[in-house]
Amino acid sequence: MNILRSQICTVLRRPLYRQLTTTARPFVPPAQLVFHDNLYVPGAKELDDSTVEALVGETNEREPEDDEEDPNDDRDKPHPDSPNFYTGRSSYYDNIIELQNAISRTRGTLQRLHLLPLPEFARKSLQPMPTVWKTPEEMTTDFETNMTISRYRRVTALLNELNEYLRIATTAGYADVADRIGSIISIFESGKKEAFLSRGIRKPVLLDQHGRSYTFGKRKTSAARVWMIPVKSTHETTSDVNVEEVFGLSNEPKRSSVNVTVSTILVNNIPIAEYFPQPVDRERIVRPLKVAGVLGKYNVFTIVRGGGTTGQSGAIAHGIAKGIFAHEPETGVVLKRAKLLRRDPRMVERKKTGLAKARKRYTWVKR
Amino acid sequence: MVLALSRASLCRSLPQGTVCLPNVRTYANTPPGQQSPFKIQNVKSSATPKNKKAFSRKNRIGAFRSMNPSQLTVPVLQPRSSLSMPSFKPELMTENMIGQVVAFNQTPNDPIKYFGTPKNMLLEFRLLSQRCSVIRNITILTAEELNSAASEPSHKTRYVLTGPSGCGKSFLLLQAVQYCLAKEWIVIYIPRAKTMVNSTTTHVYDLRTQTYLQPNYAQQTLRRILEVNSANLQTLTMRDGLSYDRRSFSSGTTLAQLASAGSKDPAISSVVLETLLTELCRQSKIPVLLAVDDFQSIYNQKTSYRDPHFSAIRPYHLAIPRFILEFASGKRSFPKGAIIGALTAADPAFPVTNELMDELGVPGVHPRSPYSKRSKILQEYARGLRNLPVPTEFSPREAASVFETWMRDNALTAPANDELFLAKYTESAGNPKAFVWQGILGTLEGAAPVVNESTSWPQLREGRI
Repeated sequence: MNILRSQICTVLRRPLYRQLTTTARPFVPPAQLVFHDNLYVPGAKELDDSTVEALVGETNEREPEDDEEDPNDDRDKPHPDSPNFYTGRSSYYDNIIELQNAISRTRGTLQRLHLLPLPEFARKSLQPMPTVWKTPEEMTTDFETNMTISRYRRVTALLNELNEYLRIATTAGYADVADRIGSIISIFESGKKEAFLSRGIRKPVLLDQHGRSYTFGKRKTSAARVWMIPVKSTHETTSDVNVEEVFGLSNEPKRSSVNVTVSTILVNNIPIAEYFPQPVDRERIVRPLKVAGVLGKYNVFTIVRGGGTTGQSGAIAHGIAKGIFAHEPETGVVLKRAKLLRRDPRMVERKKTGLAKARKRYTWVKR
Repeated sequence: MVLALSRASLCRSLPQGTVCLPNVRTYANTPPGQQSPFKIQNVKSSATPKNKKAFSRKNRIGAFRSMNPSQLTVPVLQPRSSLSMPSFKPELMTENMIGQVVAFNQTPNDPIKYFGTPKNMLLEFRLLSQRCSVIRNITILTAEELNSAASEPSHKTRYVLTGPSGCGKSFLLLQAVQYCLAKEWIVIYIPRAKTMVNSTTTHVYDLRTQTYLQPNYAQQTLRRILEVNSANLQTLTMRDGLSYDRRSFSSGTTLAQLASAGSKDPAISSVVLETLLTELCRQSKIPVLLAVDDFQSIYNQKTSYRDPHFSAIRPYHLAIPRFILEFASGKRSFPKGAIIGALTAADPAFPVTNELMDELGVPGVHPRSPYSKRSKILQEYARGLRNLPVPTEFSPREAASVFETWMRDNALTAPANDELFLAKYTESAGNPKAFVWQGILGTLEGAAPVVNESTSWPQLREGRI
């Protein structure tokens, strides 16, 4: 006897893109299961007659009129939504099939548009569209199956192929095709795509309303905050014209005028010569300005903290290099070649067990 | 090693039975080159260098002496500097000469030779082929002040040059000395006043004056004053006679004769110096400049001298520092002239004291409160001193002139271009001493390596070797 026929059937889990909600199967304790036969069930409640009659009436309505009652007759059973119901991973296989259908349809469209197969030179000129798919954990919740590596790879292989067709469509300019593909792909894209793709890329430093750049520099355990502002060149006020000089009659030696602007570097509000008594630290700080060729162009104000002299001077140099790059991106190549834009990764190595210091071993004793 | 071998050979060569003592040294077994074979080793002798600190920083600086150019035989090392600059003249003290480097030429009464200069300046003059300095705007200012002081008593023009370490105070003082000398003043220049309070000269207690006299120092000072100002001193005569210690000078003797007598005999030198100064205070014909470097050393409450009770002697109890203190405070004054002192900012033995900093209005490195110790006597001696702040940095034009001077004197190791100049200027923040000593002279930058394309060896071509 098909006891479950009268139960509320669960609605099969649909593939996502059909956007159907799910209903859970309600739990009915065995004691409250309704038996039409008077079987002895331990702990069954005694139902009163009206309830029994109502229930009997219900079952009688549903009973087929002909006497042949096939318990396996599935005319009354609701059809499973998905043809893949009996795989046990219906939504997974539904999605796979949908993706494969989408791929084949798109392939056909692109072939008709003579975009496939694409020659090598055209493939190289395609617009790069890096994608970040959802993680296996996220896909597990979506597909309602444990997303093992092989299943994940299968899905991502199909998605990557779709992404290739998207690239071709967008580069070729077929916006409607591209939109359709894009709508399928966007379901499987990770929300952290932007953050992931922009990792490792420098954020462009913006200049504020006064034209100042604010950058950070680090070296060892020191950190420096560097503000750089272009020097305003004040034109030297010309003194009174010396008539003798003009006519070449003066005996004084002719001196060429020195019209350069000079950079002032303040570290923690102290001039650089006072804060760093060692010339090597000063040279390290001025080196980015030298390499970029902007020696008298910017005034620098720094606040540096932590570490010692070498660390602090290295941090300031790093910050100045980034500041120059912010003001003048053309100097990027030169600064990069001089390894000034790179945060020096060298840090103090830790002491290891069994060694006196990071590398120093204890004296070897023969016995 | 040689000794061991010779000992062994000796032992073998001697006949059997002779005692071979290893430590006996004779003419036979001393190593060659040793003067006295009987000299006992491992005993400190007077021939060994006295001072253990021969290589200390203090002595290393003074050890530099440039070689005589005539000793250079290698053509590469021949001096080929092309330094040609105008010589220092009072007429050059004009606005449009700011940034011009001028030379201090050798004259018969050269103050640099006879008075001397502070140590750092001395080394710089030894490195340069000509003694020179750059005219700054503060030089013009000081020259104008001295012009107006030429007709006023010295107690009205008492200046102290202040500024951070290395900003050019001593150089400015030297320029003032040269200027006044060229203007035919009488100049008394004491370049290292530290030496009169750091217990390096003899001091003798004098009952008459109740101060400690410094006879040797007075003798040296008289000799120097005489050498530099002999022409002017010969025109001046004593008003009153002097008789001291069986020597007597009548009232008409010239100050030059007085000074020469004092410079020959340390016994009377202190008295002669005092008399000379008194006479200079009386005459109003020739203005007198008293220029003192290391000015703050005489304002330190404790000198390095000790009295018999081992307490430190105060500077106003020493005769010569007392003179300077009296002139600096205005208690004694030349009828025409000026008093200029220059501080040494970074001397830990004789720091700038609170009394001076209060009077001059200098902020000082450490914060000081009204409760910090101050000496009333020294405050009295500091009253009326005026601060003449020296600019902390070179202007670009002045720095460029200095750079060109060193460049023409072949002092640069790196190629001389704008980049080097601006880099060194920026690194030193314009500070004159840092710019010259750590920037121009102290840099390790050299010429960029040139790749030789013509060699066949690839390593050489790439410039790695």
